[in-house]
Amino acid sequence: MNVVITPAMLGQVVVSGILAGALYAMVALGLALIFGVMRVINIAHGPLLMLGAYTTFFLYQALGLNPYHSVPITMLVLFALGALLQRTLVFRVVDAPELSSLLLTFGISIALVNLAQLAFTSNLRAIEYATGSYTLGPLAFSKSRLIAFAVAAALTGLAFLFLQRTRLGKAIRATSQSREVAMVCGVDVRRIHLITFGVAAALAGAGGALVSVIVAIQPEMGQIWTFKSFLVIVLGGAGNYPGALLGGVLLGLVEQIASLFLTTQLSEAVAYILLVVILLVRPTGLLGGRQT
Amino acid sequence: MTRPLLEIEGLSKSFGGVAAVDRVSLALEPGRIYGLIGPNGSGKTTLFHCVTGVERRDAGRVRFNGERIDGLEPHAIARRGIGRTFQIIRVFPELTALENLLVVTRGSLAGAEARARELLRFVKLDGLVHEYAGNLSYGQQRLVEFVRVLMRDPSLILLDEPAAGVNRTLLNDLLEAVRRLRDDGKTILLVEHDMKVVMGLCETVFVLDHGEKIAEGPPGVIQADERVIEAYFGR
Repeated sequence: MNVVITPAMLGQVVVSGILAGALYAMVALGLALIFGVMRVINIAHGPLLMLGAYTTFFLYQALGLNPYHSVPITMLVLFALGALLQRTLVFRVVDAPELSSLLLTFGISIALVNLAQLAFTSNLRAIEYATGSYTLGPLAFSKSRLIAFAVAAALTGLAFLFLQRTRLGKAIRATSQSREVAMVCGVDVRRIHLITFGVAAALAGAGGALVSVIVAIQPEMGQIWTFKSFLVIVLGGAGNYPGALLGGVLLGLVEQIASLFLTTQLSEAVAYILLVVILLVRPTGLLGGRQT
Repeated sequence: MTRPLLEIEGLSKSFGGVAAVDRVSLALEPGRIYGLIGPNGSGKTTLFHCVTGVERRDAGRVRFNGERIDGLEPHAIARRGIGRTFQIIRVFPELTALENLLVVTRGSLAGAEARARELLRFVKLDGLVHEYAGNLSYGQQRLVEFVRVLMRDPSLILLDEPAAGVNRTLLNDLLEAVRRLRDDGKTILLVEHDMKVVMGLCETVFVLDHGEKIAEGPPGVIQADERVIEAYFGR
């Protein structure tokens, strides 16, 4: 390779990596919450993000709503959908062996993607908004990615405040540490599960709203996010919520830095390789998993 | 005669054909301390699980304050006024001592926090309110678990081996606290292996063996009961 890497290029990838990382962290936090509280790996997490992107798209197309203004609406819609999925389907597998919950959420994932194809067709759609970049010296920041970073960072911060400060948040953390004790202490665990799934789906929905401005919207856009979110929580330590932040930023950085050295096809593989390496070397994640 | 606070009638629970609790009936009157003893595997903890709704009973009735509670969800039973601790300590390790207490409350958060701090002071943990429960010593975790039960001001408190692994000083504090709760009108049912604790504290003792209730009475009478001696030491 005869590529010369200048400090400006390096600076650029670091910035891009951090920008992408906040988005990864936010979406992955949703997956981490469901796993932490219910021990369910929600394969349908990415397809929920896809539905969030479509929600934002249709609000934009039909009502001319600014995609950033529709983030709260998209989150509400996805919260309701997530709670509905929990209420009707997922609650059945909370106590079942992991394989059952994997199969169920995999099934939900396939169903959502196919329903989206049926309802929205496979045509690529895009929201033309916040195009262009800001430049700062040698660095360029894509507007849509910068806004996505800011919104994702803010929402992730709010989610953490909710978990840390509110009683409902404490109850969610308590349930993820010991469901049986939470029940005996008077916590309505089923309600907690409903809210957790709703919040997780809302975070995926927010991710969908933010990426709808960045990439093409199509029914298959979500699955890669399930995988990336999974990688993020493995990186950070499953069940360790702050770990999702670290994992998100790390994944963003690794992907971007790899893109400096590798062709596009190869750099796509880097995330997968990273997953295998982490599982081999440090299966409990960089920050360690849950203690209990 | 006062109406019993808790009434268990013909309670049975088996696991894979083995009866863990076999047609047990007992009644607890308000404002008293009861003991539940029996050899390992005699069904004491299963009985606790059935009363608190963690396990579904196979047969029998449980009434609390005259109301049927068997079949209710655990949180619904807890909210009616039954609190319990666990044989193996179950604090939420990654919540602080204070948060462990707050998580079980409803209503005003400020009021709950004041009460939580007061309870932690009551067990002399006021210096450790913001410490993660997982970092506390074993005995301190028992105390957190104990006062977490009190947060909801339950009328019936089930204690599963409160003395296990607790040093003498702490144990005396704990026993003193239990007596004070009784004086406040609470009913306490405790599972305990330490006979000194049971005999010194309880007014009535129930004895389980192989899931069946084989004796019931004041500690002195129980100690001399032949069936009890047989259950513990064999024939």
